Amino acid sequence: MYLILSSIFFPILAGMFLLIRYRTPLSGEKNADRKALTTLTGSFLIVTAALVVASLLTVEEGFTLFYLTKTLPIYFRIDSIGTIFSLLAVIVLLCAGFFSFEYMKHEERESRYYGFYLLIFGVLNALCFAGNLITFYLFFELLTLSSMPLVLHSGSREAVMAGLKYLFYSLCGAYAALFGIYFLYRNCDSLTFTAEGALRASAVTEHGGFLMVVAFVMLLGFGVKAGMFPMHAWLPTAHPVAPAPASAVLSAVIVKAGVLAIIRVLGMFGTDFLRGTWVQTTWIVLTLITVFMGSLLAYREPVLKKRLAYSTVSQLSYILFGLAMMNGSSYTGALCHVLAHGFVKAVLFLCAGAIIYRTGKTRVEEMRGIGKEMPLTMWCFTIASLGLIGIPPTGGFVSKWYLAVGSLESGIPVFDVLGPVILLVSALLTAGYLLPLTIHGFFPGADYDYNMLQKKEPCKWMTVPVLILTILSVIIGLFPDIVINLIRMAVTG
Amino acid sequence: MPFVCNFPFFSILLSLFSGTVCSMLPAKAAKVVNRTVILAVGLMSSVLLVYLLSTGEAFIYWMGHFPAPWGNEIRAGVLEAGMALFFCIIMYLSMAGGAHKLPGEVVESKHNLYYILVNLLLSSLLALVYTNDMFTAYVFVEINTISACGLIMIRQVGRTIEAAVRYMIMSLLGSGLLLFGLCIMYDLTGHLLMSNIKESVGLLMANGEYQIPLIVSVALMCIGLCIKSALFPFHAWLPDAYGYSTVSSAAILSSLVSKGYIFLLIKIIYRVIGFDIFNSTRIIDVLFVFGLMGMIFGSISAIKENDIRRMIAFSSVAQIGYIYMGFGMGTQAGMVASIFHILSHAATKSLLFIAAIGLTDVSGGSRKFFDLTGAAYRNKWAGAAFTVGSLSMVGIPLFSGFISKLLFAQAAVQVEGKMLASLIVLGISTVLNAVYFMKTVIRIYTSAPDAPYKGITFRDMKAYAVALVFFILLNVILGVSSQPIVDMIGQGLAMFA
Amino acid sequence: MIILVILIPFITGILVPIIPFRKRWHKEVFLETAVVLNSILVWYLLLHHSDSTFLLAHFTGNLNISFRVDGMSMVFAGLVSALWPFATLYAFEYMTKEQHENVFFLFYTLTYGVTLGIALAANLLTMYFFYELLTLVTVPLVMHTLTREAVLASRKYLYYSLGGAAFAFLGLIMIIVYGSTTDFILGGVLDPAKTVGKTNVLLLIYVMAFMGFGVKAAVCPFNSWLPQAGVAPTPVTALLHAVAVVKSGAFAIIRLTYYSFGTDFLKGTWAQSVVMAVVMFTIVYGCSRAVKETHLKRRLAYSTISNLSYILFGAVIMTPLGLVGALTHLVFHAVMKISSFFCAGAIMHQTDRHYVHELNGLGYKMPRVFGIFTISALALMGVPGLAGFVSKWNLAGAAVESNNPLAWGGIACLLVSALLTAIYMLTIVVRAFFPGKDFDYGTISGIRDPNWKMLLPLFVFTVFIILFGVYSQPVVDFFMSVATGAV
Repeated sequence: MYLILSSIFFPILAGMFLLIRYRTPLSGEKNADRKALTTLTGSFLIVTAALVVASLLTVEEGFTLFYLTKTLPIYFRIDSIGTIFSLLAVIVLLCAGFFSFEYMKHEERESRYYGFYLLIFGVLNALCFAGNLITFYLFFELLTLSSMPLVLHSGSREAVMAGLKYLFYSLCGAYAALFGIYFLYRNCDSLTFTAEGALRASAVTEHGGFLMVVAFVMLLGFGVKAGMFPMHAWLPTAHPVAPAPASAVLSAVIVKAGVLAIIRVLGMFGTDFLRGTWVQTTWIVLTLITVFMGSLLAYREPVLKKRLAYSTVSQLSYILFGLAMMNGSSYTGALCHVLAHGFVKAVLFLCAGAIIYRTGKTRVEEMRGIGKEMPLTMWCFTIASLGLIGIPPTGGFVSKWYLAVGSLESGIPVFDVLGPVILLVSALLTAGYLLPLTIHGFFPGADYDYNMLQKKEPCKWMTVPVLILTILSVIIGLFPDIVINLIRMAVTG
Repeated sequence: MPFVCNFPFFSILLSLFSGTVCSMLPAKAAKVVNRTVILAVGLMSSVLLVYLLSTGEAFIYWMGHFPAPWGNEIRAGVLEAGMALFFCIIMYLSMAGGAHKLPGEVVESKHNLYYILVNLLLSSLLALVYTNDMFTAYVFVEINTISACGLIMIRQVGRTIEAAVRYMIMSLLGSGLLLFGLCIMYDLTGHLLMSNIKESVGLLMANGEYQIPLIVSVALMCIGLCIKSALFPFHAWLPDAYGYSTVSSAAILSSLVSKGYIFLLIKIIYRVIGFDIFNSTRIIDVLFVFGLMGMIFGSISAIKENDIRRMIAFSSVAQIGYIYMGFGMGTQAGMVASIFHILSHAATKSLLFIAAIGLTDVSGGSRKFFDLTGAAYRNKWAGAAFTVGSLSMVGIPLFSGFISKLLFAQAAVQVEGKMLASLIVLGISTVLNAVYFMKTVIRIYTSAPDAPYKGITFRDMKAYAVALVFFILLNVILGVSSQPIVDMIGQGLAMFA
Repeated sequence: MIILVILIPFITGILVPIIPFRKRWHKEVFLETAVVLNSILVWYLLLHHSDSTFLLAHFTGNLNISFRVDGMSMVFAGLVSALWPFATLYAFEYMTKEQHENVFFLFYTLTYGVTLGIALAANLLTMYFFYELLTLVTVPLVMHTLTREAVLASRKYLYYSLGGAAFAFLGLIMIIVYGSTTDFILGGVLDPAKTVGKTNVLLLIYVMAFMGFGVKAAVCPFNSWLPQAGVAPTPVTALLHAVAVVKSGAFAIIRLTYYSFGTDFLKGTWAQSVVMAVVMFTIVYGCSRAVKETHLKRRLAYSTISNLSYILFGAVIMTPLGLVGALTHLVFHAVMKISSFFCAGAIMHQTDRHYVHELNGLGYKMPRVFGIFTISALALMGVPGLAGFVSKWNLAGAAVESNNPLAWGGIACLLVSALLTAIYMLTIVVRAFFPGKDFDYGTISGIRDPNWKMLLPLFVFTVFIILFGVYSQPVVDFFMSVATGAV
């Protein structure tokens, strides 16, 4: 109990401490005692990570912290799905956090950034450990609010607008979900998470049709966070304007909160309730549209970070597609893709950040020869790209494999075949928008002026985290059994 | 017959003779006589009221001791006595409140004429209240008209003469119609005494004879009195007549003269035609509809008005609409509400007129709203009084207007077909009242930074302020302890039968 | 005793201009003592209430002016008396910049008494009486600055309020005529024997009376007086136009619905649908206007419009749970809104800035005020853990429970409104803390947080927002017992 609580509240309090202790200076000057700040933040991060790992390792019953009102307990429990997401969060946050220490040198108001970064860490832990829908919703809202300052960070007009857009889309989704929670609360015995469906049998017979609508609204609502069509527009706007490590966290972890939410909701309604209904069909259609559209938009996008953001839109819907198919293999694939995409996307964003940090280049066509300047970074980028496309032996391959298998097994007419086809097309597009960077980066062409070439490899604070993440993404592909077993555990409970 | 029973006769005669006597007295003495007479009549009425309440039944007083059906009769019940008392109070207060303005409004030489007219007016009102004879009523209606015209015209400004002529024409039209109705009635029944007519009318109705002439006669009398009491749409004479005459005249005209006619109409309804017969005709529906329209259109005209006196005058049109709405409901409760509203409106409207003059006086004599800005700070008493009057008109609890609204609404609910219409119009009319009265109240409490006008203190207007205080008290008394008064009205109406 | 708590503010108020205070703080101490004393008295009264009715005067017929403490009165009187001392404290500081202080405090304190009168009224007539009185004593407060704008606003306020009361009056009449008594009895007083065949008329009048009282609660389309009345000094806008006056409207509607007409009579009728539709529309309308509005106080006023309709939404669900929701929001919204209004007032007082776009960067200069503003904004949005979430939860829960499809639509309205709330509140926060890259901090130099008299109330309210957010059970339990008539 205390481990879980401290892994949630320690980073939150630490973040608040940073925010208050290092009051942001008014004009553009930098924090004087940068070193102290980074040391402090670093130790906070490590302590938090340790706390999380410790709480994951200790087997614990769920516990109720307190009651919001008589029937609304704030309840925490660690289950295997939570474990998967929590692992992802810890690793990515830790790596991106250390990456920031170097990266944030060229940004203002670092203390605010670190403060909110730690807040997010705590909130994410809470999300993973939440044991019922109310607790989850509480931290879901807090996640939106605490991650908004990261989007806003640069303070430029564009960033502010993007931040607000992020906020309103997210809240819109959260409120749609809340609408559903009201009805779930009425029609379930409790809001504690389960995988088998918690709806009362009587409620299903009485209001079955309406509950379908509720389920759909909730899927759409939480789908906003996961960038599902038609509420995906905030993502390509908000992610790129944040500082690169923050974008990495946003794209790799925070959007996954939406995925986690949908998994939880599916559990509450129970797949039996939804399988074969219009809800499932519509949902599949939406995810497929998103997959395809995201890739297509990414393909057309010249700014690297935006391109990556569109890619996130597309990739997240892979996961959602897996969930929407509602069978064992696709579910496994989806969870596997959560991890695979998480690591890969973090790498990609961090690399993009490194490029910006060292060269200031943001557009893809400016990056010719970048592989010569920053070979290590670009190697990581390339490996990660392959992972995203789904080429063995990376994690992406495993997850896509399971997705495709699950889809074919599902026996849903039309979509059992159409799904994998679209996934494949999208994979091709993914190759189309990521590989040119590698190709032009390493093979700038005959007219490239090698005299201009400078070694711009960033320092270790940046490269090491990227390397770790890259290695992890490959490990998933090389030893899928570890992950798959973990997921099996999650599926079977 | 105890001595008290002579009082109605005494009061009429006293005021009539004092009017004649005044013509020979200097202005100052006339004023004293006038006040004394009003006080004396008021005193007599109150004694009479107490007496009637103790005996519990009305009495009939034979003039010259000729028995019916030949003699002329006076009849006094609780309602009559109460009304007479009330008229005296209002008249006294109005005279007191407007007295300081008189030298400015009326040329010195006409002052005693003024008092003559007031005394005559009082006598005619008392006669209308007390008489049991239709022809006497008609005669005093005419006396009333003449003295009212005089009161309007005595302030010799261009507009007043025009107003008086207009009033004269409309009034004469009204009395003419009344006379026609009276003639037909006389023709049908052969009587002039109210009680006798009623008997015959009852017989005629029971036998089903002369239905149409009877209705026509009733209708003519009603319309005649409606014109005279300015029921919408016969109100065109009213704003000028009330708006430009002297203050006291305006207060008296608006609160007493039209009420005298209305009271006569009530008497006709109850004592001449019979309440049930009257209600069985369609006339009440017509009255009802015109009453409702008056409530709305009177207020709308008042909203459009830019002259405070004329605004108050238009508000009278609306208030008279209320009274006729009460008639139109055709129930006892509606009638009680109407009679209470006669009292409440009389008390409030004269208060407003008197207060308005205090406000215009400290605004350079202008009655335009713009000039009134901040007037309430310059004359605090008038400001407060005007506010009270306005609140009463809008129907805020504690003031008389609320009670009449309450009574009207309660009465309305009991009338199946007319309930919604009256309730809704009541609501709308309250909103409209709020609009123009509150507009004025806010206006007079808005401080004008560069107002060129001087304020006035209590010391400079003792009589005026005291009159206002009494008006306010009267209003509050009607508003707070209305139950005895309502009971009394009910008792009086019961005595009518 | 019960009349005492109404009289003390009256006497205090009238004494303020009369006593020649030598120093300003003498007056402050006098007022604050009186108000605090009165609040303590009120609370004593509420905690030791008996069921007896205090009869002040017979009015006419069987109507009388009388007072009684029941559950609803406890909620409203308790709320008002808890907020008033803080608001008064705040007003001392705020009014240093305004004129005609004595007149202000006269009417301000009078309003306290009148509001308590509404809360403690034992029957519809008494409530109506104080309701009208409330309009009258608050008009001078709206008019306070005597600018043209203020005069227009107060005029409108008067028209609307008195006009509304005129229609509410019709409801009073119906209860007088068709009810067995005018006293407030949970479940209604309509006499079934008298109402046979009159159902539709009664419902129509109910709708009218609802709209009539709804004028004070700023129900659409009768809401435009409220934003305009924001010209009044901030203590007035905060306490009266976010709590006392407007909540009186909501309170009156609850009285009318639950204690006079009775939910059994109204539930499931067309009248319920009509008023519910109106309320739902207002919820969304108020928020949308708030988003468009750039004047800070007016924006908050529009937000009030929307939130008042939350309360009414709970009320028109017409179940005990609905009443619980309504009461929860009645109390919680009061705390949240007064807090945000006081922040707005503090901003205006310290900087003389009135428009949202003038607030750029102020978050760094007035961190306490803006921090508190942020919390109240989040609470208004309904972020879990703060007061707003609990009240919304109760409202939505009641709506779900009611099995009324229209009420389900109402939940959607609540959520849309929550989203819009986020837009109009958080844009302010974002502006204050993220003024943009090229913002010139020189323009806001010299601006500071206000002194303790302003901050203390703000801190207290914030504590309550959080407290209610995380631990509201006793309060909600109490509301439940009110709604079921156990108190």
